[in-house]
Amino acid sequence: MTLLPHLVNGVALGLLFALIALGFMLVVSLMETINLAHGSFFALGMYIALLVIAPTGEFAGAWSESWRALPIVWRYGIALLIAPIVVGLVGMVLEVALRRTYGRDPLYGLLLTFGAALVLEEGIRAVWGSTEKQLPLPDAIAGAFVIGDLIYARYRLFACAFAALAIGALWLFLEKTPYGSIIKAGAHDSEMVRALGINLARLRLFVFALGVALAGLAGVVMAPIWGMRPHVGVDAVVPAFLIIVLGGVGSFWGAVVAALMVGLVVGLTGAYASEWSLLSMYLLFIAVVTFRARGFFGKKSVLDV
Amino acid sequence: MSTKDTDSKPPVAATSTPAATDPSRRSLLKTIAAGGAGAATFFGPWKTNHVWAQAAQKKPLVIGLTMDASGQYAASGGMERLGAMMAIKEFNDKGGVLGRRIESIHMDTETTPATGSRVAERMITRNDAAFLIGGVHSGVANAISQVAQKYGCIYFNTNSSSPTESGKDCHRVKFVWDGNGTNFAEAIVRNAMKANGKSWVLLTNDYVWGHNTAKATRTLVEAYGGKIVDELMIPQNTRDFASYLIKLQQIKPEVVATAVGGDDIKALRQQVVQLGLEKKMAWINNQQDWPDVYGLGPEQIFGVFGTTWYWRLDLPGVKEFVDAYQKVYPGMAIRVPGNVYYNGYVATRELLRCVEEAGTTANIAVIKKLEGRKMTARDRMQAFDATIDPATHQCQQTIYMASYNDKPAAKDDLFRMLTSSDPKDVVDKEAAKTCKLETYEATPTFEV
Repeated sequence: MTLLPHLVNGVALGLLFALIALGFMLVVSLMETINLAHGSFFALGMYIALLVIAPTGEFAGAWSESWRALPIVWRYGIALLIAPIVVGLVGMVLEVALRRTYGRDPLYGLLLTFGAALVLEEGIRAVWGSTEKQLPLPDAIAGAFVIGDLIYARYRLFACAFAALAIGALWLFLEKTPYGSIIKAGAHDSEMVRALGINLARLRLFVFALGVALAGLAGVVMAPIWGMRPHVGVDAVVPAFLIIVLGGVGSFWGAVVAALMVGLVVGLTGAYASEWSLLSMYLLFIAVVTFRARGFFGKKSVLDV
Repeated sequence: MSTKDTDSKPPVAATSTPAATDPSRRSLLKTIAAGGAGAATFFGPWKTNHVWAQAAQKKPLVIGLTMDASGQYAASGGMERLGAMMAIKEFNDKGGVLGRRIESIHMDTETTPATGSRVAERMITRNDAAFLIGGVHSGVANAISQVAQKYGCIYFNTNSSSPTESGKDCHRVKFVWDGNGTNFAEAIVRNAMKANGKSWVLLTNDYVWGHNTAKATRTLVEAYGGKIVDELMIPQNTRDFASYLIKLQQIKPEVVATAVGGDDIKALRQQVVQLGLEKKMAWINNQQDWPDVYGLGPEQIFGVFGTTWYWRLDLPGVKEFVDAYQKVYPGMAIRVPGNVYYNGYVATRELLRCVEEAGTTANIAVIKKLEGRKMTARDRMQAFDATIDPATHQCQQTIYMASYNDKPAAKDDLFRMLTSSDPKDVVDKEAAKTCKLETYEATPTFEV
């Protein structure tokens, strides 16, 4: 009985990791660009949500009083919708800037997204300040509940359920819609997709926006758990990177499985060998990549024997 | 690193790769490899801050500010830097020190010991820093002090609190300004045990400050007849504490004593409140830095914690000090100074006073001014007089215990001060046994 809560916690943590990594995976798969600004978009999502749910300071004009009169459930729901859209729009600007780097040395894209990460982080700091912020939550998902003799946070349950739904919705979009088919085809062979008359520039713009919007959505969901500070994005980008490589670049379910494994490993080591809890994900990574360089579900290269 | 230095490399020529028209697995792997390298260097750039232009007559006195601007202690690093700069400004407003204007140069130590070493080496050998000031992370402070001792450059550890800093890792050139984990444990453990029970769990940040603070707490708990039923190590930069909190519920201790700092304690506090665990067991945080608690909601500031200073202490000079902060740094997100800023300020001020009194920047002369130095309670805006212990180089000072203030008298009146301990009642006796200061002769002479 002592193990079961930790297994459940590991799966929950894995779902949250998967939510953080999915947008990163989309951008890498289609565009072959490592978006180092992924974490900063994650942080931006948190702050946009704060602006929507509880506008304060310079943002609190006369309008904000009537806005605040809306029930917080509504404001929270709207934040879940608005924050990813705003983040996606900001992402589109970055994608336009990135275009000159396509097909060139990967370092150009890395440097640009790294610079964008710094700009976004400093922008957040300039607008919202560097002190810790709190994202208010509706009562329905705040507080705790008891199972047996253990207390669980209601919000964590909500976050995991939301992550599972978001993963499912993204999968349906990619698998069951013509747009998803185009994205997958673009990831497989972008030149062929262009030859078939698909506007590749528009496709890349859309996918990049979707990827960073997912980062923003993950930020909104994770804000009450990780807390809000301008540099919180660094905490997201490293696990996201690790998970997509572990799962196999370009593999949707690979990323999900890798995230669940990372969640389980981190959760269990946290309980039974706490000093290893963060290191454990890197050890898992080394163990897997040593024997299977392409990750769990990565495509086999012609060089593999 | 100065701006000039960072601009020295020519731009890399643009190259066209096969990936331009034919995306391949190889180009993807290359991207990923480069991404790994990029992620590994995902830290803010070093920064130079020349406060004053170079004086025409005398060479300016350069003080190297070795504060974290990124990583777990970025927020505290920023505040102690402002405190040090405030003291420097006050001296410059009076004409500097020894007729020399004071310049500060800041480099981000990134909450990383290796960076701390590199920064210290560079400041001493290339930037002509006469003194080094700054440290929140004990590993970083220890790394800086090793380099400083090698050259004989006086280093002020302003805010890192591992007992080892003035114990086994002490140095002749290093002076430790904050209360340490043992001081705080001495002030709190006995009372907490009486009030809350004898079954304790330690939540310990997995690095030198956490380890040694937890060790001090363990020693005292066991000495007073209590029992440490478990100790959970928390790696730095942990953001999800669910597994620890489940474990705590399974163990059911009466008291949880945390030695967790920086962004970790912020996340921990929020997650404890989400579970309501702050009401199920007593919580003690060895030391609560102001930047780590400022901005949290009232429910998150639970438990009892230690500090060395508070902005609403009813003591002479406190109000003026707060006013000066607000005047020099208007519009700050942290509207009132806290213990971290305070330490940065008083440490720098005392160093410059000693330089003035010594009439030289020569290290041994200044060290002798600092060793055994007595500072009045009024001057330091604390309840009791303070002394720099000549045997350990730690500032023996008032230790306060505080909790959340549910009846604030003003905005940001977050703390209710519970007790103030006389420095002699909370002495870290182990430090004097383990600290072996280098002799004066073994310390290189250093004067800039």
